[in-house]
Amino acid sequence: MKIVVCIKQVPGSNRVSFDPITHNLVREGMAGRMNPFDENAIEAAVRLREQVGGEVVLLSMGPDATKETLHDGMAMGADSAYLLSSRAFAGSDTLATGYILAQAIRKIGAIDLILFGRQAVDADTGQVGPIVATELDLPQATFAEKIQPLDAQHVVVNRDLGAVTQTVQLTLPAVITVRAEANQPRYESPVAIQQSLTKPLTTWTDQDLTLDASRIGQAGSPTIVRKVYAPEPTTRAAKPLPQDPKEAAKALLDILQAQGLL
Amino acid sequence: MERQWTEPEQMLLRMAAKYTDAELAPYDLEMAHTNRYPDGLVEKLIQTGFLTVMLPTEYGGAGFGPEVTAAMIERIAKGSASVAATLEGHYKSVDAILKYGTDALKKALLPQATHRIFAFGMTESTGGSNPMGIQSTAKRVAGGWLLNGNKVMITNGTLAEVYCVLVKTGEQELSVFVVDNSMPGFSFGKREDFIGLRGTPIGEIFLSDVRVDDDHLLGRVGQGGAIGDHAHDDARILMGAVLSGIMQHALSLAAKYANERTALGTPIGQMQAIQRKLADIKINQETTQLLWERAAYAKAQGQPYSELAAMAKAHGSRAAVAACDDALQVYAGYGYSNDYPLAHLMLDARALEIAEGTVEKMRTAIAQAELKKEEA
Ligand SMILES: Cc1cc2nc3c(=O)[nH]c(=O)nc-3n(C[C@H](O)[C@H](O)[C@H](O)COP(=O)(O)OP(=O)(O)OC[C@H]3O[C@@H](n4cnc5c(N)ncnc54)[C@H](O)[C@@H]3O)c2cc1C
Ligand SMILES: Cc1cc2nc3c(=O)[nH]c(=O)nc-3n(C[C@H](O)[C@H](O)[C@H](O)COP(=O)(O)OP(=O)(O)OC[C@H]3O[C@@H](n4cnc5c(N)ncnc54)[C@H](O)[C@@H]3O)c2cc1C
Repeated sequence: MKIVVCIKQVPGSNRVSFDPITHNLVREGMAGRMNPFDENAIEAAVRLREQVGGEVVLLSMGPDATKETLHDGMAMGADSAYLLSSRAFAGSDTLATGYILAQAIRKIGAIDLILFGRQAVDADTGQVGPIVATELDLPQATFAEKIQPLDAQHVVVNRDLGAVTQTVQLTLPAVITVRAEANQPRYESPVAIQQSLTKPLTTWTDQDLTLDASRIGQAGSPTIVRKVYAPEPTTRAAKPLPQDPKEAAKALLDILQAQGLL
Repeated sequence: MERQWTEPEQMLLRMAAKYTDAELAPYDLEMAHTNRYPDGLVEKLIQTGFLTVMLPTEYGGAGFGPEVTAAMIERIAKGSASVAATLEGHYKSVDAILKYGTDALKKALLPQATHRIFAFGMTESTGGSNPMGIQSTAKRVAGGWLLNGNKVMITNGTLAEVYCVLVKTGEQELSVFVVDNSMPGFSFGKREDFIGLRGTPIGEIFLSDVRVDDDHLLGRVGQGGAIGDHAHDDARILMGAVLSGIMQHALSLAAKYANERTALGTPIGQMQAIQRKLADIKINQETTQLLWERAAYAKAQGQPYSELAAMAKAHGSRAAVAACDDALQVYAGYGYSNDYPLAHLMLDARALEIAEGTVEKMRTAIAQAELKKEEA
């Protein structure tokens, strides 16, 4: 099974800054880390490879520093990686990103499964996976908590949708986004860390892909960010109830009534 | 002076930090209370590959150098000195086999060092600082040797599967052999009830007519003293790192508490008496770190490092006991409690004024090296 896992480098801390004009995240000089949900996607891919054989290929669009995150992913067991990096990609929103990734996946070719984390923790949209599925016209299952290979043409996926769990059978090739509950990502072993830098990492620019210039970068991004702001820190206070159960019940009723909750 | 690590070295240190914070630090106090590792901790440590860090790649290891290995040990010790000591015991024993083993022995044994824990047994009830006081023996038999004796206080003893053991091959002659716990005649004795490093199994082994082949001799017959000294040198660099890690742990706890705890309407961290302690802890930590880094650098460069390693441990162990005592005092009444980590950190540090050579012996070695430089 040939599996592509799309991963993203996200800010390593919560102290981020935004470009005052474009409202885009300032990525220069910022230590990045792998989007945590992507670790679950890689883990799911590596386990599938361990079960049925095959190959795990990482794909990421981002600045040159994203190579570190791709090395981290290869240290977790992925076999090779592609970095899509170009000035022409700057300012891409989820739609443009999905399009560029889809074109790269076409070029990699012969793929059975495309995995994503359920969402990226910086923008929290969860859109890129479904956009890639739509772009490539492939079946998709989001929020997977379990992926089981059925035969060479099919996988069975349990989707955790909060109140309900849905079991779906997908015909390959297919797109799946993976929840944190799917697995416990492995630690990079010291031996795998050393090997990660010797595994193939290919960089593709906009010149290496077949792209419609009007669909990439700022031009290909219909999303308009009106405002970005840091939320006001909220403070909460706890109110102790009286020790005596009767008094406590009365005090609780008073509070609920005062809040208009009864 | 901030060291520039290579990308794989940075990845190793990042992974170790993540691992320590999630898998080790939350259980360190429990180890002190229960005198053991929680179930599954050692298995996961092995499965994640921590035994392979400094083992050369030709034996299936990761082949990291002495400096980053020690830096990783320091980071682990910041979460659990016990686990750092287990790894230290393994690495120094593997180092000894690497240096003194025959090619055949290394080929046979070292690939196992990725998943089996190694240890080094020198001390006996009759000989610790004085190796000539030991009573274990190896007697020549056809094609090999017959080993008999009893080793005490071995780091990873009762946990490790492969042991380097110091024995007498003559009245005044010491040699080191490698034995496997699966060999007939090998058995474990009791586990020590030490007051610190309580997660680390430290215990006894018995050898009763254990037969080993010729190639299980490390180095030459009679070279045992030198091999033991060398293993100590390697261990002392790592112990310096353990001590620095313990002090980082103590400092972080003390500074956090000093910010939170108030007296006379201000955080106690604003009082000079407390600031003095925090500053002293930091100075002790940094000087110890500088010493182990200098020793590790010398080792990586192929320069002599025995004296530097002795200094890292001699200075670092006293410094760490003092630093943990200062941190305990910042916590005051709670610092003195078994339910809080401070007293345990102090007892962890205290072990290293004894293990891998006492501080008295360190000072003798340092002084002798200096005397020698000025000999006529
Ligand atoms: C946590 C821990 C882990 C250990 N792990 C190991 C291990 O993995 N393998 C192993 O073989 N042993 C191990 N040991 C044992 C340790 O190496 C010995 O305790 C140490 O060498 C001291 O020996 P001793 O306890 O017999 O004390 P002794 O040698 O009896 O020393 C008693 C006192 O006399 C002083 N003294 C003795 N000789 C001299 C001298 N020549 N010059 C100056 N002062 C001297 C000592 O400094 C000490 O203060 C460990 C001990 C501890 C506490
Ligand atoms: C063995 C033992 C027996 C005890 N028995 C009793 C008992 O019988 N009865 C009882 O009431 N208590 C008892 N205690 C509690 C003991 O009195 C307190 O631990 C002690 O007063 C310190 O208070 P604390 O632990 O709250 O530390 P804190 O007062 O919080 O002190 C924290 C740190 O801040 C420093 N600090 C605080 N204020 C100042 C200041 N103004 N100037 C400079 N430094 C300051 C302290 O020196 C300390 O280093 C006992 C404690 C122990 C360990």
